Amino acid sequence: MSTSLEWGLLAPEFLLAGWAAFIILIDLFWGGLGKERLGWLAAIGAAAAGGLSLIWVGDTKEFGTLADINDYTTLFRVLFCGIGATICILSARYVKDRLLHPGEFYALILLAVIGANGMAAAHELLTAYISLELLSFSLYTLTAYAKFDLRSNEAGLKYMLLGAFSSAIFLYGIGLIYGTTGSTQFAVIGDVLSGDTSDIEWGMYMGLALIIGGLGFKVAAVPFHMYTPDAYEGAPIPITALISALAKAAGFAFFLKLFAVAFLPLIDDWRYFIAGLAVATMALGNLVAIQQRNMKRLLAYSSIGQVGYLLVGIAALSQDTASALVLHLIGYAVTNLAAFTCIILYYNWTGKEEIEDYKGLAQRAPYVALCLTIALFSLAGMPLFAGFTTKFILFQAAADEDMLWLAGVAAFFSFVSLYYYLIVIREMYVGEAEEKTRFPTPWLEYTALTVLIAGVFLIGLYPRPVLELAEDATATIFVSEELESGEDLVGVP
Amino acid sequence: MLDPIKEGAVWAIMFLPLASFAIITLVSFLGLTRSGAWSPRYSGYLTILAILGSFLLSLWALDSVADTDGARIGFDSHEWLTVGDLQVNIGITLDGLAAVMLVVVTGVSLLVQIYSQEYMREDEGYNRYFAFMSLFTASMLGLVLASSVLQLFVFWELVGLCSYLLIGFWFQKDSARRAALKAFMVTRIGDLGFMIALLIIFTQTGSLDIDEIYEAAIAGAIGSTALTLFALGLFAGAAGKSAQFPLHTWLPDAMEGPTPVSALIHAATMVAAGVYLVARFYPVFAVSEDALLTIAIIGSITTIGAALLGIVATDIKRVMAYSTISQLGYMMMGLGVGGMVAAIFHLFTHAFFKALLFLGAGSVNHATGTFDMRLMGGLRKYMPITYGTMIVASVALVGIFPFSGFWSKDEILADAWADRPWVFVVGMAGVYLTALYVGRMIIMTFWGEYRGGVQAEDEEHAGDAHAGAHHRAPHESPALMTLPLLVLAVLAFGAGFLNVPGFHWLGDIIEGWLPHETEELLTHTDFKLWIAATSVAIGLAGLGTAWAIYQAKMLDPARIRSFLQPLPQLLDNRYYLDYLYETVFVKELVLGSARWGLALWDEYVIDGAVNGLASATGWSAEQLKLAQTGQVQLYGGVMFLGTIAAVIGILVVNP
Repeated sequence: MSTSLEWGLLAPEFLLAGWAAFIILIDLFWGGLGKERLGWLAAIGAAAAGGLSLIWVGDTKEFGTLADINDYTTLFRVLFCGIGATICILSARYVKDRLLHPGEFYALILLAVIGANGMAAAHELLTAYISLELLSFSLYTLTAYAKFDLRSNEAGLKYMLLGAFSSAIFLYGIGLIYGTTGSTQFAVIGDVLSGDTSDIEWGMYMGLALIIGGLGFKVAAVPFHMYTPDAYEGAPIPITALISALAKAAGFAFFLKLFAVAFLPLIDDWRYFIAGLAVATMALGNLVAIQQRNMKRLLAYSSIGQVGYLLVGIAALSQDTASALVLHLIGYAVTNLAAFTCIILYYNWTGKEEIEDYKGLAQRAPYVALCLTIALFSLAGMPLFAGFTTKFILFQAAADEDMLWLAGVAAFFSFVSLYYYLIVIREMYVGEAEEKTRFPTPWLEYTALTVLIAGVFLIGLYPRPVLELAEDATATIFVSEELESGEDLVGVP
Repeated sequence: MLDPIKEGAVWAIMFLPLASFAIITLVSFLGLTRSGAWSPRYSGYLTILAILGSFLLSLWALDSVADTDGARIGFDSHEWLTVGDLQVNIGITLDGLAAVMLVVVTGVSLLVQIYSQEYMREDEGYNRYFAFMSLFTASMLGLVLASSVLQLFVFWELVGLCSYLLIGFWFQKDSARRAALKAFMVTRIGDLGFMIALLIIFTQTGSLDIDEIYEAAIAGAIGSTALTLFALGLFAGAAGKSAQFPLHTWLPDAMEGPTPVSALIHAATMVAAGVYLVARFYPVFAVSEDALLTIAIIGSITTIGAALLGIVATDIKRVMAYSTISQLGYMMMGLGVGGMVAAIFHLFTHAFFKALLFLGAGSVNHATGTFDMRLMGGLRKYMPITYGTMIVASVALVGIFPFSGFWSKDEILADAWADRPWVFVVGMAGVYLTALYVGRMIIMTFWGEYRGGVQAEDEEHAGDAHAGAHHRAPHESPALMTLPLLVLAVLAFGAGFLNVPGFHWLGDIIEGWLPHETEELLTHTDFKLWIAATSVAIGLAGLGTAWAIYQAKMLDPARIRSFLQPLPQLLDNRYYLDYLYETVFVKELVLGSARWGLALWDEYVIDGAVNGLASATGWSAEQLKLAQTGQVQLYGGVMFLGTIAAVIGILVVNP
């Protein structure tokens, strides 16, 4: 390649990789630091990488022909680094009590963040694919990390085997797309498809379908969701949180960009199919969630339901829906992390994770019970909280794209979901705890929780700043369309 | 008289109770209540003070609006967010309708809070109670003041959430938890309609501002199908909150909450929201004949259906709950015949006499420890103030001249006669049934001999937390409880005089905000003496029938029952609606299909493997093999089929 690459653009990723190596070395040579502090150190690295990526706010640069560094990338880099840092903090106590080899554990989290960053940044299929694999393999390993726990081993193995299968499907899809359009560049594919579409071969459509299948697995859409409850239940809890927040957000960052830039011209061909997936995903996720007795499985199915709402945004894709989708993604990540923080705290205290075990939590840790209630209400889409505002904006945007029926279905399942969240809330407040003693207060985790809950309220009550960020971000992937609509305006009085 | 109200003052009406909620919550979390630095009584005083402030400001608002003859006082709205075409503003709607509602809500709430200070005195959840009550009132005020549909919807949902928290206030009781859940879920079925209406109206008008929706509806800018769907969606929400058939089933159970909560729900906050919503969007409803007809039909069914249920109920609060539903039916009836003013006027008078009836029932419970009327009787000797005020409220409810209920009900009936005579006939039948259940309630509770109260009853069936107290002979309630009763009695008697023939002060304010085009569509009728005389006569006939059956025992209720079969059986089972919803719909349909989904995906495929594997005592190669060979291949198989489906699906769409 003749162009010299501007390596500096990838500084946050280099930092993360270097920090991962640094963490492993520290763990090897300075065991006295303690497992807990190692986690905090890793969090600092992730936070620093997030801070570093702010350098490119407002820029539109390209890393060769592989990736963009623009507002879209920056937004997701900050989000992913934030998720990574939060997970490191939340893992500290868990790792200390229950896991071996903390160095590799944290390093893998940081590597997963690199993969996620790559997925948001890539504007070319193979780069995206390699980033996806980096994220996935980190997660497979982390899922199986509790090596003396059968569930963890089994979950990791299943996750990896099925993940490999989905990767194969995805790669075959890339191959077909490349074969028919002659490029792996999103923008070039988009140009080819927006021209005369009569001579597009059926292989192109097959490739598109395979890519939907592969991505469907990564974001856990029905019927590609089947590994989710196993992986969620088997993985160490902080890793469950990581899968639910990071893997989903990264999957959708990639999904959105790919479909907005490359496949938007064919939207009429795939929108009803994605809409169908969305309906199936919402229906199954929410209805099966009602029956769950285990907290992690409940959140697994509820997150499947959430994926359904996000798919609504893809099915009704436009610039407005994309902004709404990104906003909802951010709101979902924050809310979900808040919920998981509470669950991790409870697990650290008691080692329990059945819904029934949560009875009397309000007496023993009123603050955690309140925060979990807020997070669950937000997931259920109650007003005041992020979940309502972001869902409303998303459904509204979808309705505006003539997908009113889909928005109506989504609203219906959102209403259904309240029921199973209320079951958890009822246990916490109504049940009598067997012991009455208060739990100790871990200040660092409480601080993280407070920040997350503040985020839930901020997005719920005053979403404008976050929404503006999301709009700036999506503006970069809709550049061509903006010009077209700009041309349309000429001549309108 | 006073200066026009400022925007900040209007916001304060909502924010004062909200601040009271925030302070009480904060205080509880800081542990000041446990350490004794904050006496729980302070929470009550704080709430009363905050709502008193709101009430005074509401009077100011009403005064300002009266100066403009009910027209809207313009305040700028504030941009909250913009996404593409979607611009959402938040702001204040202060017009005649809103101002009247504000006064009703804050006025009734104030009296209820004062009453609660005594009624809840010994309850452990005293702080929590006042925190939720503050939030409940604040949400309702926010709902009334909202200037965009989205803002309205947010507070609408908050009202629902608060009702859940308050109905389930004594969550140790299984019945209270179930009632709370039922109220929340049933009203949310209606809310789904509201939500869809929101999505529709935005796609049609590109705005969520209530004002702009009016303009679009009047200008005919909305397609007639979309307009009707929008109106019906809104009405679905209203029917949920205002307990209209067939979504009324939650309200009778909602009495599981503390009695003052019921008073607030039934009089001013929750159920009034639905009627308010329809009135607020009257410019839209007025141009959709189908929507108005639907409202009239549902209102009529509700009026009669609930009144019949009121006749067989034995729990005094249940009688009142059915009475509320029936009266809400009247209001909807009024809205359905173009009588927006009459409906809101009835809401206004009803708020006072229904709050009075509930607080009176609470007072009776305070004395006897039960809500079962079969265990009461003869209380007029022991509780003269409660008895006297209850009589005033009952007469107002039946609609006897010149009590407040007479004026408002009469206006609805007159409008019905002018617009849809069949509704008028239903309304008259409702008057008779109302008088019948009211007479029965008064006779069973206050007349005859005292039948022993809670002592005659299982502890288990006892109603409120007071039930455990040792009541020997019933006695009058303390002053803090009787005072609100007396104030309400004055209002229940006199509130109607604000809008009588020749003096339409309140009515003019209520309709002053309507756009000119809508005002022309309203039904305007003059006072008709024959209608008034007939309704009073029918009311008296109903009371007489009650007297004949329950006091003079001229007719044997058992014989009437057997004569009317199967109607009484239908009523005893509440039209089998609870059975239909809980057993057929929820258990069989929803949970059944969920179980089916679970069985298909989860039990066979996932749980079988995970549980079999994880709970196994040891790790064995065979089990590992199971995981590898069986399950993963199956998962992969499903994914593969899904992918094939994706390929076929997309290829089918494309030739």
